[in-house]
Amino acid sequence: MNALDLKLLRDLWRLRGQVLAIALVLAAATATYVLSTGVYRSLTETREAYYARNNFADVFADLTRAPRSIVGRVRAIEGVRRAEGSIQQYATLDFPDRNVPVRALINSVDEYGRTHLNTIALREGRMPQPGRASEVVVDETFAEANGLGPGSSVEALIYGNRQRLDIVGTGLAPDFIYAIAPGDLIPDEQRFGIFWMGQEALEAATDRTEAINHLTLTLERGAAEADVIRQVDVILEPYGGTGAYGREDQFSHAFLDNDLMQLDAMTRVIPPVFLLVSTFLVYIVLGRMVRTERTQIGLLKAFGYSSRQIGLHYFKFALAIAVLASLMGAAAGIWLGRGMTAIYAEFYHFPFLFYSLSPDVFAQAGGLALGAAALGALGGMRSAISLAPAVAMVPPPPPVYRGGAMERLGQRAGFSAIGHMIVRHIARWPIRSAVTVIGVSLSLALLFATMQFMDSSRAMLDTFFFRAQKQDLSVSFTEVRNEDVLFELRQIPGVLRVEGTYAVPVKLSHGRRIERTAIESMDPDARLSARIDGDGSEIAMPISGLMLSQQLANQLAVKAGDRVHVEQLGGRRTELAMPVAAIVDEFIGARAYATPDTINTITRERAGVASALLSIDASQRDAILIALKEMPVVLGVTERVAAMDKFEEVIDENINTMLFFYILFASAIAVGVVYNSARILFSERAHELATLRVLGFFRSEVGLVLLGELALLVIAAVPVGCVIGYWLAQMMTAMFSSDLFRMPFAPERATYAWAALIVLGSALATAATVARRIFRLDMVRVLKARE
Amino acid sequence: MDAQEPALAFSGTGLRKIYVTGETEVHALRGVDLAIYSGEVVVLLGPSGSGKSTLLNIVGALDVPTEGELYYHGTPLVGMDERDLTRYRRENVGFIFQFYNLIPSLTAEENVRLVTDIAEDPMNPRDALELVGLGERADHYPAQLSGGEQQRVAVARAIAKRPGVLLCDEPTGALDSQTGVRVLETLARANRELGTTVILITHNAGIAAMADRVLHFLDGQIARVEENAQPIDPAEISW
Repeated sequence: MNALDLKLLRDLWRLRGQVLAIALVLAAATATYVLSTGVYRSLTETREAYYARNNFADVFADLTRAPRSIVGRVRAIEGVRRAEGSIQQYATLDFPDRNVPVRALINSVDEYGRTHLNTIALREGRMPQPGRASEVVVDETFAEANGLGPGSSVEALIYGNRQRLDIVGTGLAPDFIYAIAPGDLIPDEQRFGIFWMGQEALEAATDRTEAINHLTLTLERGAAEADVIRQVDVILEPYGGTGAYGREDQFSHAFLDNDLMQLDAMTRVIPPVFLLVSTFLVYIVLGRMVRTERTQIGLLKAFGYSSRQIGLHYFKFALAIAVLASLMGAAAGIWLGRGMTAIYAEFYHFPFLFYSLSPDVFAQAGGLALGAAALGALGGMRSAISLAPAVAMVPPPPPVYRGGAMERLGQRAGFSAIGHMIVRHIARWPIRSAVTVIGVSLSLALLFATMQFMDSSRAMLDTFFFRAQKQDLSVSFTEVRNEDVLFELRQIPGVLRVEGTYAVPVKLSHGRRIERTAIESMDPDARLSARIDGDGSEIAMPISGLMLSQQLANQLAVKAGDRVHVEQLGGRRTELAMPVAAIVDEFIGARAYATPDTINTITRERAGVASALLSIDASQRDAILIALKEMPVVLGVTERVAAMDKFEEVIDENINTMLFFYILFASAIAVGVVYNSARILFSERAHELATLRVLGFFRSEVGLVLLGELALLVIAAVPVGCVIGYWLAQMMTAMFSSDLFRMPFAPERATYAWAALIVLGSALATAATVARRIFRLDMVRVLKARE
Repeated sequence: MDAQEPALAFSGTGLRKIYVTGETEVHALRGVDLAIYSGEVVVLLGPSGSGKSTLLNIVGALDVPTEGELYYHGTPLVGMDERDLTRYRRENVGFIFQFYNLIPSLTAEENVRLVTDIAEDPMNPRDALELVGLGERADHYPAQLSGGEQQRVAVARAIAKRPGVLLCDEPTGALDSQTGVRVLETLARANRELGTTVILITHNAGIAAMADRVLHFLDGQIARVEENAQPIDPAEISW
């Protein structure tokens, strides 16, 4: 090893605290990169493999009822590779020990116990055998959550018929990676499950002999999906087809896509913040190093070392930091990635999980770390290279201080001499002071931007569960009923109010934009539900025309007053133009609302009731739930409170874990920035601090000079951080929004305060460790030496 | 000596200082007995490493002896805690070093104010600067002053608190003769007008002529004490 490299190693060791502090920040960049890229790729690859292995369909269609022979006609469409018809039927399960009905979606499998598309990954047991009508396979997550498995059985109410289902196996399917009950916000594996049952048995149970109500197909490579969908719709029209749709509208796929998009957004926002701070830190540390090593640089040049060799020497310093950071970051990224993938695996139902980390992810992370460090090193390298040997060997001229704006401010404020020292030093090194302020403020910003997701979810919770919903129970029916059913519900003792709802599937178009959705009925007199705008105000339902959610309005590029083309899917397939009477800025979904009368003009028939909202006397809850369970028309009952608890539970589990790591990461920035600033400040001021000690200043007073400057910069960073945080949070909230739901941006004041407190806390703790060096300050040695 | 014995500013007995670095021990002071009277000018003379600076640092409470006793006006300095040593420096001692040690971010006047802000009965910082002939340059930063001017600011800073003792470690070491004389004149003036005890380290034997007494150091001990009946004015010193 040559002498210069030996010097490098010793320098790294001597400055190990600072090197480590920078490496930590840079490691946070590589860790978050490896983490989010790793998880993103793992989930994407897992999904792709699962889709390929289990023939996930490309196009899906629901219809009321069609003869099985229709599948052959669909298969004949050009571009269709495979088509399969099946029955999908919601059913109610009766667990004797539970009041609340549990819902199931039962899918049919063919006489051999198979499906060709969306094939089941059998986890345990076997598929139903022909001729054994009671045999079913249950989705694994539901089975686990409810203590079911091969050998156990459940009572079900299918299409009005009570029937015992014997579980012979558990499985998973690619069309239900994300399984959510209609009307719910998040999966509840205890109250909603997917079942598979033999075709004949399900035909018999649902009175659909040789008939289907669900169609799935895969396409030939290169086939135009839109064309196929159009032809499928034509075929299915007489059978109550509600319009075929592609993967992007398939529920499970869309949800997973949404989460993958969020992960991808994380990769693009979080690591760059850490990279930026690391660049700044390398810049100031290396700059200081070159300044203190002026004479050494001059000497080396005098000995004949080339500028290139010297530049390279300092570059290697940055390189070493990048390598250290890459190693630490990769290790942390792998570890965290495993943990996070496990969380996703729990949430999503995959039969297997690739946790793949290809070398190129590490190469990219390392490349980013190196790039950031090298960029930061440029300044120091350039001044080392440009130093002329003769100039370098003369000690640097004393720093020149001059009056300025800051100065006049200080005079007017009547600063003490110590106050002047602090303020002038900040003004003398504006870039470094700015780096400290920006670094600390970015730490605060990142912290705030992640912490405010808690506020987002809370705002969503509040709006969705308290303001938009006022019912105690929502009851869904096995099929659309007439209004008599509401009367029946009202008869149950303890039921205070009943409001029926109905939704008609439609295709809305405006210009070239087309969206599939459902228009939900919304009575202007409704008291159990409300449409809440972004600012929290309630928007009244207009008497005529449609009310669209902001999301849907954006997708259709319409504003209030515009007209949209409405095409009913299924039913009479009415087509008409309707005005958009109001737009409501809701968080969840692309939704449309209309009064029952307006819906009647679309369907040209008296609208039925698909579900009902109930407000009840809380003391009679149990009796009411039992009464509902007895009603054959009731498919499911959702309790608002239970749904809310479940939502909170999911948030607590997932967001809190994430939050913990981001608090850790963001604190790493504060620690890294403050530690390096403090160390540089200390080394620059050691002479002055020692002088003050000699002059009779106490350690605490001397500490004030050191910490006062840092404190000023850190405090200045708080408002800056809040502003950047606000902006970053807004950007991240926007990036996290999708067709499915939009995150409300609703930061609480307390969140600013918490973020500031955490940052100030880590800054204080870090500064205190450096300030302890004042105790070891050797007054004599410092003063004997020329600065 | 007159019949009326002047008060002892410092009295020390058996002062030893051993620096341990790794496995080697350096005996910087090998048993020094010291008596310095209030209001006198004492010059410490001797080769490098003879213990002058070590003694000066111990007297100024920048360092503590390994062994021995030291009193300042009857108060023991040995065994004082860090805080009391700082207070002692703050209230009684003015330091002047070879390399000025001014705070570069403070003007001449502010450098003096640094000390007067924390002293009990200080001079007006302007007056202290007038005393060293720098009243005109009070608003200049150290970088805008010559070496001699910087050292005079350091002297003004040292005397502004009206210290009992001025400790000067080679105060003229980095200055030319003319500037050096001006600095020494200021020290003599402080001694004369404020009654400050002055202890001064130098390599320049000529400077010894301005002292009341000269302590010759050799190998960590005071080899010889020379009394000077007729101290001369710094202006007459042959450099």
